[in-house]
Amino acid sequence: MPEYTTDPETLRAEVRAFLEANWHDRIPETPMWEQRNAPLTEWKDRLLEAGYLVPTWPAEYGGRGYTPELAQIIEDEFKAVGAPGSNEDKRSIPGNTILRFGSERLKKDLLRDAITGRAFFCLFYSEPGAGSDLAGVRTTAELTGGRWVFNGQKVWTSGAMTADYALCLARTDWDAPKHRGLGYFVIPMRQPGIDVRPLHQITHESHFNEVFLTNAEAPAEYLVGEPGEGWRIIQTALAYERSLMGEDRRVVRHPGVDVDDLIGLARRHGRLDDPVLRQELASVIALREVNGLNNARAKASLEPGTSSSVMSLGKLAMAHILHGEGAVRTSILGAESVLTGEGNPEADTVNYEMFSAFVTSIGGGSNQIQRNIIAERVLGLPKEQEADRDIPFREAKGN
Amino acid sequence: MAISIDERVQLRETVRDLLQARSGEQDLRRVITTDEVYDRDLWAEMGELGILGIVIAEEHGGTGLGPVELEEAAEEMGAALLSSPFLGSSVLTAALVDAAGTDADRARLLPGLADGSTIGAAALTGPAGTWTADGVDVEAAPDGALTGAARYVLYGQSADLLLVAARTADGIGVFEVAPDAAGLVRTRLDTLDPTVQLSDLSFAGTPSRRLGSAGWEAIRRALDLATVALAGEQAGGARRVFDLTVEYLKVRYQFGRPIGSYQALKHIAVDRLLDVESAISAARHAAEALERGEDVGSAVALAGFTAADGYDRVAMTAIQLHGGIAFTWESFPHFFLRRARLDRQLLGSSRDFRERYLVAKGA
Repeated sequence: MPEYTTDPETLRAEVRAFLEANWHDRIPETPMWEQRNAPLTEWKDRLLEAGYLVPTWPAEYGGRGYTPELAQIIEDEFKAVGAPGSNEDKRSIPGNTILRFGSERLKKDLLRDAITGRAFFCLFYSEPGAGSDLAGVRTTAELTGGRWVFNGQKVWTSGAMTADYALCLARTDWDAPKHRGLGYFVIPMRQPGIDVRPLHQITHESHFNEVFLTNAEAPAEYLVGEPGEGWRIIQTALAYERSLMGEDRRVVRHPGVDVDDLIGLARRHGRLDDPVLRQELASVIALREVNGLNNARAKASLEPGTSSSVMSLGKLAMAHILHGEGAVRTSILGAESVLTGEGNPEADTVNYEMFSAFVTSIGGGSNQIQRNIIAERVLGLPKEQEADRDIPFREAKGN
Repeated sequence: MAISIDERVQLRETVRDLLQARSGEQDLRRVITTDEVYDRDLWAEMGELGILGIVIAEEHGGTGLGPVELEEAAEEMGAALLSSPFLGSSVLTAALVDAAGTDADRARLLPGLADGSTIGAAALTGPAGTWTADGVDVEAAPDGALTGAARYVLYGQSADLLLVAARTADGIGVFEVAPDAAGLVRTRLDTLDPTVQLSDLSFAGTPSRRLGSAGWEAIRRALDLATVALAGEQAGGARRVFDLTVEYLKVRYQFGRPIGSYQALKHIAVDRLLDVESAISAARHAAEALERGEDVGSAVALAGFTAADGYDRVAMTAIQLHGGIAFTWESFPHFFLRRARLDRQLLGSSRDFRERYLVAKGA
């Protein structure tokens, strides 16, 4: 096993030399729902070998056992040249969940493929009857003949058409209270018991799916943690997901059409002299800048192993920004905003962005659920009373 | 003087400890019944501790610190709702002497401001209250005789040193007026925020002496520094009244449970938490921009409206969430709203700051 330096300056020089020698081309970015990216996976293989892919992880899993401070040096140097992949230990939902809670078999089977992107994971969380109240899932997992057998329905599953595995929250015990009868599983996707059907979204895209599980199976060791521990484990997975959703998400809808530059958009539409619009523009541009300042301040003050109130606000703030920008763009376009389609690329993009803002304000925990979480965990306000919290889930109303 | 992180923390703690001991709610209620609307003993102590000289060079008796330390101290003052001439005298007047005055002016005027023995006031806007060049309503004759009116002058009644922005044949200049000069009338204004002293100054052929030859640009620089201090005060005030409100949500019971357990109130509180954090970020960012001398226009304008509007929303919400108790004079939150309302107008409106910000962004 190689000896890794712990001297910051030696490390910096080492990373620079590595990037100098190895980082030549840009790897085309793909949106989160088009996960497969062969050049990126090859690049990540090399990073894993060099110890840059998951630097804070233990050496036996391809890391360097680094502190977050040392890992940040690697991330900074990668960022400086625009190279991806140096921080899967911060980003990978399956990787981090399996590393922290998974069985030895899961680690052996899947850990490497999860962080290199060779294996793709989708998330079997929400159900038609369990959206904001995620702990109310009714998909059932039963251990039968040494294998887990799943029956139920999942929804809002992005990437289910192409994924190799699913991370699944399912009920292992209907007689335990809601939060205590759950398990967290890894389920192979390529099997007859899994039926994926695309949803037609308000954007006319189909990134999300509904999934029907009919006697779908997984090996016994693909339970992550213990039966009944599912709720605790999914909290970790959700925290990673939400922190990624606080990041910016931009998709090119029509090549050459830029609606991100709000001032440019207003200028093109001859609206830059409108004093009311100018006030709105300043407010919305400021929201994005202040969010960046908030995040930078949170990162700077963050001690290892702690969380920050500002960080928790990131997703909520980003939803507010995206909807605010959507409103200003619509206001700039005026009547043109009623148009759509290929013949109206600017209006089409503006409306696409307007709809897409809901991905951030509803997905991964709606703004309202986020506010509950922040109020309770950051501000320390008392929890709302829940009618079904301490009774057997079987007896809860609505089941 | 380069200051270490330790010394920075120490200054902030010095201010915090002093104000926690000497500028509590009861102190505030006592001070607002006095004519001067500040605690002279506390003021003197702030001078001795070097707090009043934060932005004044050491060679002139100051502490020689920068915008970053100023903003930090201002957060503590805002959190304590401190009643004092600090913003008008120790920041705005001191910065104006520094920006507009000659070396001789600095040597003559800054030491008194630094130790607090002189209270300075800067009269930079007329009845329009815009703190912009076109809001100046005083004319200076070639011999320095001033005619016209200035308004919203912080601690103008108590000031020993008056600096006045006035129009001349070649633009706006800064003029020094003796407090007992002929034709000067100082009138105390009746203010929504009782914790502050504001005055009207009128000039009728009042003799004055021009400070250096600087114009509006020098005033702009002084206003930028004061805006950073004001934003710090707003951020600190917002944080404090927010904390008081969250605490109340935990201890006030209705329908057999703490009112903070209701989502209707939780959600409002979380939105205001974002306002508080944003005010702090914007204020500190402006201080750092001023310290580095980069993107000053954009950063100061951003802090100008982000901290002002955030404080206002947080203070309004504090009263709403406290409910009926906060409608009484004996309650505390309304003092924060009064301060937020004052601070939101001082040195420029949010509307003007937003316009300035947009211009800085290239529009």
